[in-house]
Amino acid sequence: MTNPQYIGGIRGFFARLGGIDRRWIFLAMGLSIAIPILLKLRFPEYPGPMAKATFAAVESVPEGSTVLLSFDYDPASAAELQPMANALVHHCASRNLKIVFMALWPLGKQQADRTIETVLKPLHPGYSEGTDYVQLGFQAGNEGVIKVMATNLSKQFPNDANGKPLGDIPLLKNAKDLGEFKLVASISAGYPGAKEWVQYGNGAMPDAFEVVSGSTGVQVGQLLPYYPKQMEGLLVAVKGAAEYEMLVEGKYPAANPELLGQGRVRMGPQLVAHLLMIALIVLGNIAMIAGRPRGGAR
Amino acid sequence: MNESMTNNADEKPPVRRRPNLLWFSLAVLGVSLCVLRVAVAAQDGDAASAEAARTLWQSIGVWVAAFMTLGIFSFLYKDNPLYKVCESMLIGVSAAYWMVSAFWSTLVPQLFAKLSPTLVKTYAMPSLTPSETPELDFMLALVPLVLGGMLLWRLAPKGQWISVWPIAMVIGVTAGLRLVSALESDFLAQISATMRPLVAFETTTDPAGVATRSFDFWGTVGGFVGVIGVLSVLSYFLFSVEHKGVVGKSARLGIWFLMITFGGAFGLTVMGRITLLAQRFEFLFKDWLGIG
Repeated sequence: MTNPQYIGGIRGFFARLGGIDRRWIFLAMGLSIAIPILLKLRFPEYPGPMAKATFAAVESVPEGSTVLLSFDYDPASAAELQPMANALVHHCASRNLKIVFMALWPLGKQQADRTIETVLKPLHPGYSEGTDYVQLGFQAGNEGVIKVMATNLSKQFPNDANGKPLGDIPLLKNAKDLGEFKLVASISAGYPGAKEWVQYGNGAMPDAFEVVSGSTGVQVGQLLPYYPKQMEGLLVAVKGAAEYEMLVEGKYPAANPELLGQGRVRMGPQLVAHLLMIALIVLGNIAMIAGRPRGGAR
Repeated sequence: MNESMTNNADEKPPVRRRPNLLWFSLAVLGVSLCVLRVAVAAQDGDAASAEAARTLWQSIGVWVAAFMTLGIFSFLYKDNPLYKVCESMLIGVSAAYWMVSAFWSTLVPQLFAKLSPTLVKTYAMPSLTPSETPELDFMLALVPLVLGGMLLWRLAPKGQWISVWPIAMVIGVTAGLRLVSALESDFLAQISATMRPLVAFETTTDPAGVATRSFDFWGTVGGFVGVIGVLSVLSYFLFSVEHKGVVGKSARLGIWFLMITFGGAFGLTVMGRITLLAQRFEFLFKDWLGIG
C-alpha cells in the first residue's frame, strides 16, 4: 500500500484517515451515546409484528389466569432485558393476571425481586403476595428444572423463595404442573432460557400454554426459528422492549411513566451510535480505496 | 527531498518519560476517598438513623461502581494499573460468587440435605421441607456423591482414569435428555414450520364485522424467500455432490443467505453492546453525578 503521506489532495486526506488513532473513534462513539442521554433524545417507535404478537399473547390470556414469568438473566444483561421485564409485569398486573416469578439463573431471583419492588408494588399496590403473585426464586438444574415442573411442580419447588410450603400458598396450593399456567414468559439472556422453555416446556405440553420471550440481541438469532409456530411472541433486544413499552403504555398508562420508558430512552443513543457506525464503515472503505496505489498491484 | 523524508520517517521518536500511571491512579483514588469522607462528615448529623446508614452504604456502593466502570473504560485509552485492578476484582468476585452460589443452590439442597436432613435443617436451611421418603432420598443421593468423588479423583496422582466414568455418564445422560427434545422442537417442528403456503392471503375484518380476504404481497415474498433460502443453504452443506452447475449456483446463493444472516446477527450484537454502554453512561450521569 502507498504511504498516505505521499498522496495529496482529497485522496490523501481520506488515505490518512485510514491511519487515525482508534481512540478518536472510541471518543466519538462515547459522545454519540452520552449526548443523546444527556439531552434525553427520544424518537418515535413503531411496534413491529413480533412485539404486537407478544402483546396479543398476553392480551389473550383470560383475566384472573395464572402466568409464569421466568427471569433467566443476570445484571450483565439487565440493560437490555429489564425494560421488557418491567413492561411485562405491568401488562400482566394491569390485566389482573396472577403472576408466578421464578428464575433459571442464580441472579434472576434478584432481578425478579427488583421488578417486584420497583414496578409491581408501586404501580399495583393492591397486589398481595401469595394470592396475586408468588416468588418461587431460583432452582439449579437448568432444563432439568423445566422437565420436573412439567410433571410435578411441587417436587421442583416445594417452597416459595421465603421458605413457605407451596401447599400453604393460596395461588399455588392446587397447582400440579406447568399446565397450571396459561402463558410462560421467559426473559432470557442465554442458556438456560427461552430455548429450553420451548424444547422442554412447550415440547412436553404443546397445547397447555403459550410461550413468549424477551431476548438479548446476541441470543435472539437462536430463537427466531421458533417464532411464530412454537413461540407466540418474541421481543428482540432493546428495540423490542421499546416497541412493547409503546403498546403497553398505550393501553395501560402507568402512574409513573419513568418506570416503563427505559427501553425508549435507550433507543435514542442507539440511533445516533448506529448512524456513526454507518458513517465510519463508509469512511473506512473510502480510506482503504484511497490508500491503494493507482494502477499498481493490490 | 524524498531521501531526507525517508530518513526522518526511520528515526525513532525521542523517548518521553510519562508519569507513572499507578501513582496517578492512586492519587485519583485518594481524592475520591477524601470526597467520600466529606460526604460522610456531612451526614454525621443524622448518622444515628438507620436510613442515613443505608444511604451511606448505597453511596459507597455507587462510588465503587462508578470507579470500577471508569477503571474498565480507562483501557480504551491504554492498558494501565487501574484497569488491571478492576479486571482482577471482577474476575475474583465473579469466581467467588459462582462458587458460593453453586454450594448453596446445588450441593446443600440437592446433596447434603438428602444425606443428612436434620443437620442441614438445623445449621444451614431452616426452611428445608422434610422429605416423605428420606431413606430413598439418602440412597439416591449416594450415587452423585460417589460419582462426584470419582470426578475429583482426577486431582489424585494415580488412578486418574476413574474420573472418566462420571464424565461418560454426564455425557450419556445429557445426550439422552436432549435427543428427544431436539428431534421434536428443532427438527420435526422446524420442518413443519417451513411448510407454509407460498402465496399468502390475509383476512381483515371491518368495523361491521365483515371479513375480507386479500392477497398479502409481502407475505408471499416472505414465503418465496423462505423456501429459496432453505433450499439454497441446504445445498451449500451438500458436500457429497461437487458444487458445479445448478448445485454450485445454488450453493453460491446459499452463501449469500448465510452472510446476510451473520450480518443480521452481528448487527443485533452491536445493538446489545451499545445498550450496555448506554446503561453504564446512564448510571454515571444519573446515579453517580446526579445529572440528566
